[in-house]
Amino acid sequence: MGMNQPTALEHILITTKVEKVMNWSRATSVWPVTFGLACCAIEMMAAGASRFDFDRFGAGIFRASPRQADLMIIAGTVTYKMAPIIKTLYDQMPEPKWVMAMGSCATAGGPFDSYHTIQGVDKVIPVDVYIPGCPPRPESFIYGFLKLQDKIMTSSLADRYKDIFEEVG
Amino acid sequence: MAEPNVPQTPEVPEAPAGPYVYDYKAAPFRQIAMPKTVPLPSRQTYLAEQKAAAEADEAKWQKTLADFETAKTKAEAEGKDAPKPPVRPVPRKDDNDLKTPVPEEAQDPDLLKLQALLGDKAEEIFEQAGELVCQVKKEAILEALALCRDEAALKYEMLADQSGTHYPAANGFAYSVVYHLTSISRRKRLRLRILVPEGFAPESACPLYPSANWMEREIYDMLGIRFANHPDMTRILCPEDWEGYPLRKDYPTVGWGQRDISFREDRGGMLERIALQKAGQLGINLKQPKAD
Repeated sequence: MGMNQPTALEHILITTKVEKVMNWSRATSVWPVTFGLACCAIEMMAAGASRFDFDRFGAGIFRASPRQADLMIIAGTVTYKMAPIIKTLYDQMPEPKWVMAMGSCATAGGPFDSYHTIQGVDKVIPVDVYIPGCPPRPESFIYGFLKLQDKIMTSSLADRYKDIFEEVG
Repeated sequence: MAEPNVPQTPEVPEAPAGPYVYDYKAAPFRQIAMPKTVPLPSRQTYLAEQKAAAEADEAKWQKTLADFETAKTKAEAEGKDAPKPPVRPVPRKDDNDLKTPVPEEAQDPDLLKLQALLGDKAEEIFEQAGELVCQVKKEAILEALALCRDEAALKYEMLADQSGTHYPAANGFAYSVVYHLTSISRRKRLRLRILVPEGFAPESACPLYPSANWMEREIYDMLGIRFANHPDMTRILCPEDWEGYPLRKDYPTVGWGQRDISFREDRGGMLERIALQKAGQLGINLKQPKAD
């Protein structure tokens, strides 16, 4: 028996960390909430449809309830009237949860430098990934989602604990 | 020497304190520019403007002639050649090409009928680019609308649109409210117009045309004109707690700072809003009364 030969036990077992398994399962089964605000939502739907097939990355199941979702895609212009509603929806989502700001409106107000538009959704909720474009093509949307998957894979439970409890404390 | 692996801590900008001030130096084009003119189409104003322009033109021509006479006598006295006599400019063929259509005298039987029925309550009738306009007294708008709807010769069944405009430079009124009527059976359109001063509440058109409900709410929301006897005079586009009327000319494009509220930091503000809302449902007014 040489050192490069796996043992019988190693044929049936993989050793890893719990955190890594959890991150892997979370990153490959992200359920977004069905939530579109403006024209970016059309591109989001296009990314979810058969040509680009967002489901390949495990994120094609758009949930109609924030209680069952763990990703919020802000696809469109965020108005002052809509901001408290977004905040409520975000608060209703169970932890862990992530947010993608899609398009220049959700990122920084876009062309609407006006009285009614919140200049970026990060004034309302924390954002994980910003996707530029007006609107972004499905390719860039998928790239942004892959970046989010990277972020989920490298996240750690200890950091999350710190974020939630020590900030408020 | 700084450690290469330690990331630099970004400087946190301090939150501005006190009332909201937009940085107009960064964007000078956002300064409020109040209009100096009243671009309200009207035949009376048009005729007066034409008369004034003709008089100014005549005065200018007389001055040119007088100047020429002085120059001529001066040249004769000095023994020089006489100056060239001035030529009066004739209006060119394409002078009116890029101008708005002229408000013409009313020829349409509908307008004449309406004026005959309303009497002196109709302030002005004219046609512009084939469209019929009738300006009525602001107290008689409901009567005029009822006539337009019910009179057998008019029969304007539908209120297609209702709009308002702010004219801050105008004398004696501040807003105009225009009722765009459509007759489906007669395939005609007619505009009724009232001029509303600040603080006046015109009669609501809801009893006659139910479609006026939301359009009057929108006018109230954007311009602050309240309509009397309206079933639900509340804001329709802006949130209920909005301050100011965005389509007024003195309203800044960037607003009064509502868009810069940090909903993440200002959790207390959110809670206060919710508390105000709950108190409002219970009929308690927690808001401090404000002087207008």
